[in-house]
Amino acid sequence: MLEIRFHGRGGQGAVVASELLAQAVFFDGKVAQSFPFFGVERRGAPVTAFTRIDDQPIRLRSFIENPDVVVVLDPGLLRDTPVTEGLKPGGLLLVNSPRPPEAFSLPLGGRIATLDATGIALGRKVGTATMPVVNTAVLGALARATGAFTETSLERAIISFVPSHPEENRAAARDGAEAVRTEPVAPSTVAPAPAPPAAPLPFPEGPMASRPSHVLHTSSWRTLRPVIDRDRCTRCNFCWEFCPDDAFDLDAEGYPLVRLSYCKGCGICATECPPDAIQMVTEA
Amino acid sequence: MVFKVLSGNGAQAEAARLARVQVIAAYPITPQTTIVEALAEMVASGELKAQYVKVESEHSALQVCLSASALGARTYSATSSQGLLLMHELLHWASGQRTPMVLGVVNRAVAPPWNIGADHADTMSQRDTGWIQFYPESNQEVLDTVLTAYRLVEDPEIRLPAMVTEDAFYLSHTFEPVDVPDPETVDRFLPPKDARAILRPGVVSRLGSFTGPDHYVGFRHQVAEAMDRVLPKLQEVESEYARRIGRVLGGPLVGYRTEDADAVLLTLGTTSTTARGVVDDLRSSGRKVGMAKLRVFRPFPVEAVRQLARTVGRIGVLDRSFTFGALGPAASEVRSALYGIPSPPSVTSFLSGIGGRDVGPQDLRRVFEALLVSEAPGPRWMDLETSGEVAAHG
Ligand code: SF4
Ligand code: SF4
Repeated sequence: MLEIRFHGRGGQGAVVASELLAQAVFFDGKVAQSFPFFGVERRGAPVTAFTRIDDQPIRLRSFIENPDVVVVLDPGLLRDTPVTEGLKPGGLLLVNSPRPPEAFSLPLGGRIATLDATGIALGRKVGTATMPVVNTAVLGALARATGAFTETSLERAIISFVPSHPEENRAAARDGAEAVRTEPVAPSTVAPAPAPPAAPLPFPEGPMASRPSHVLHTSSWRTLRPVIDRDRCTRCNFCWEFCPDDAFDLDAEGYPLVRLSYCKGCGICATECPPDAIQMVTEA
Repeated sequence: MVFKVLSGNGAQAEAARLARVQVIAAYPITPQTTIVEALAEMVASGELKAQYVKVESEHSALQVCLSASALGARTYSATSSQGLLLMHELLHWASGQRTPMVLGVVNRAVAPPWNIGADHADTMSQRDTGWIQFYPESNQEVLDTVLTAYRLVEDPEIRLPAMVTEDAFYLSHTFEPVDVPDPETVDRFLPPKDARAILRPGVVSRLGSFTGPDHYVGFRHQVAEAMDRVLPKLQEVESEYARRIGRVLGGPLVGYRTEDADAVLLTLGTTSTTARGVVDDLRSSGRKVGMAKLRVFRPFPVEAVRQLARTVGRIGVLDRSFTFGALGPAASEVRSALYGIPSPPSVTSFLSGIGGRDVGPQDLRRVFEALLVSEAPGPRWMDLETSGEVAAHG
């Protein structure tokens, strides 16, 4: 059995990716079990998805703790999510990133693969400019890097089940397969620092949640940030009105100010701004 | 028959399509939403000839379905968690009025705190509403159970509503191959609903209106009697399903390697699949354990549980919800079923998977080990023992 764990964010297509992957594996004549898990249903919130591939019926219905493959749809997750936790020694880490495999590390050794799926999705116009949907490009790369399912079956699944722009998605999958670069990584000779003992879960007294929303910074979800052009801004306050995370303040003159610790980069303000005074720019 | 890759929610919608439901009314709620989206698309495309009634709440959704059912239509709805709780009043109406229907319920935790993970508190807290309850473990079983449920609930001797549940995400959003029977075969198994409606246009009658103590108790007793007929009838319906469609569902309690087991774990829903694998692992290291899946929770299969208890020294019951002030709901039922039998086994209540906590093979192995060393009644909150939030005991 091959076990794959995906790390992405709401809106990047992790749910559709897990369905497409199950379909592709099925077209190959194998058994798949594929499911996403999301804690909160918010665009930008971290999402995990799990896929098992086997030749016989799968007798597990639980999360994947020790994957053979870890797929990271959003490189921003590498900042604060232990994505490679439990990855088997010798396993594969596939990252959506314009950087080469050498830019990442895998202390237990294995293989690292990268591709710029965001660039591919933007180029193929899959999703929107503010929310490119990277799933099909990543699946193409996954097929090429693992050989666990065929690119033919993936394309067939995309054409049969992607509801909008299937041709563009198929092209993105092909681009992904061509673009992926895989490098073997030797186990680190420096013994990794022993993991600190897991801190016990903070146990809230209840009924109050332990982290109220003013300390829960959703900025780590952001891959794009809004930049306001004050010359074009008419101070209509639409952005303030529509921001789902209440990230706007107004300055003394009534111009909007984004509190970046709360902005999750959803781009709704940019979409709603009547004079197009807000640009979404890629986070460094 | 043709295999399709479906989610549990997709299997619910496919089954409703194959059952040729005539009236659908539902209100979207995570993680149920994709069931009603799929049905809305089938109706919009003409693939399913049904009335899709848009409503402003779950309460209204169920009202539409039970009214349509009283007029003779085959009806379907689906909900989850808070939505099911909002239906509570009408759940009683559906059973009391004897309006058969099938309701898909995605088992999700009940707030507060807000949580969308798998948990059985939503349906368990509706166990006294007069509905038949099924807890499938796979998307295949979801589809098969919805189809058999229609045949069961519309039987003139039953005429009660049924809910077919699925664990949030572990089934609702899990894609896996499902063998979908062809419509003509299903039609032979499940002919159109008997048109003898309860309410008939032009015939003056009263349904559900004021009834004094002289007749009220009799109506309630009729519901109780119908409930008592469910399990024998289910056996007939499942044999017919096996004959026509070729799949055996196994009745209300499906045991695995229980024959010579010292300890048997009872499970509901998706933990059953993982438990079967763990039983095999433990057996290969010489531990005599087994498991049994409680497919039907209402009516509770008292006889089947007693039968199992005859040969087993210890029974563990794994509940994915808790009845405050008592035990896990299934554990309470198992104990009550075993009261008075000669030399009954011990019964331990285990709680695991609450609010979407994952239940992996290692978690179930710990449950079996605990069961093999102790007869303490519990309840044991296994999720909290794993994370060190409460001390292990027993
Ligand atoms: S400031 Fe704009 S991009 Fe940031 S969260 Fe608000 S609406 Fe979204
Ligand atoms: S919506 Fe655009 S124009 Fe209006 S206040 Fe915001 S930035 Fe200025």
